[in-house]
Amino acid sequence: MSEPTFMGVPRDRIDWCPRIDYAKCNDCMECVKFCPHRVFEVRENETPKLIVKNPENCVVFCRACAKTCGVDALSFPDKNETTSRIKQIRKEKAGQ
Amino acid sequence: MNSRNTYAVLPCNGMDKAAGAVTRQIALDLSVQTGSEIICPVLYRVADARYNRIAQEHPLLVLDGCGTRCASKLAVEKGLKVAKKLTVTEEAKKNAIPLADSLRGAELAASLRLDEAGLSLAKTIVADLLKAEGPEAADHQAPMAAPAQLEYETYQKDKFIFRLPKTGFFFSENDFWVLVSGNRARVGMTDFLQQSLSDIAFFNPPAVGAAIEQFGELGTIESAKAVLEVVSPVAGKVVAVNEALATSPELINQSPYEQGWLVELEMDDLETDRELLLDFAGYFPIMKRKVDEFQVK
Repeated sequence: MSEPTFMGVPRDRIDWCPRIDYAKCNDCMECVKFCPHRVFEVRENETPKLIVKNPENCVVFCRACAKTCGVDALSFPDKNETTSRIKQIRKEKAGQ
Repeated sequence: MNSRNTYAVLPCNGMDKAAGAVTRQIALDLSVQTGSEIICPVLYRVADARYNRIAQEHPLLVLDGCGTRCASKLAVEKGLKVAKKLTVTEEAKKNAIPLADSLRGAELAASLRLDEAGLSLAKTIVADLLKAEGPEAADHQAPMAAPAQLEYETYQKDKFIFRLPKTGFFFSENDFWVLVSGNRARVGMTDFLQQSLSDIAFFNPPAVGAAIEQFGELGTIESAKAVLEVVSPVAGKVVAVNEALATSPELINQSPYEQGWLVELEMDDLETDRELLLDFAGYFPIMKRKVDEFQVK
């Protein structure tokens, strides 16, 4: 399978994935049940139980899991900064 | 009594979060102030004839406490048409009223009683609901003319057929489309995206007049499977929303590129946004790859 990209930019160069606020997270795992991209991983008998295992599986600009979070424990990077960064990388690639 | 604001109110009535208690309070206030009828979500699960009737007699107001959306899911399960819905945790943020919603250990019991903040939030939400149409209505413009007969390319996987208009549309890699006419843009979701979501139950549109960045949130879409943020393919000011979706959200499934359009914007700068948009030739292979990779249920 070819390297995953978003708008021609290698996915691993785009910092876009959920951040978990462990002070708020109550391990309800609604986000895990919701996300079809296996971004999260549940580690039974470990603390924290929930981690972001596959950040590059996260769909750039998707914040849907945060909407399933009853205690508002998930946040995402700033969209504008991410957009600027993507454009910058595209420019660098075009100049290569 | 204001009959225009008489709802059938379906609160989640959640017992283990303060936000759930706020939905109950809102339902009680609306019942007293407007004669709205309350649907008990617990009884509804076991005896639905009475509540189905109520939900048909009045516009349905769904009150979710938190993002788990128990009340919305119940409405979808029962096949109800949702006229209006809100989520208390989002309203709390909007109104900067903190809720005592700590769900950890011993703090849980203390947080369940509706405190001053909770009562005040319920009061604010009820007042908003009873307000006449806001000033934003003045910004609302007539929608663009419907596109001419569209010509589609299709891609088939098993029994599923995915359509994509061949000309006139731009697409984002988030699977939304934009149709441009002058500085106006109409936005909707692609056939691929609507099929991945299955039956759409509700479109929660953005406020008319709101300024949205490219890839900013242009409302949300809810299906039985998921809540999805509408990721705006272009930046601009919201000038129209598809009013038909309030009563017929299924148009998004039935006609994603035409009757099921979502929002129209007055664009800020298409040239700048264009860099991160694709035309048919650019998006079609991406759509095919997504179809191949995803199990569409």
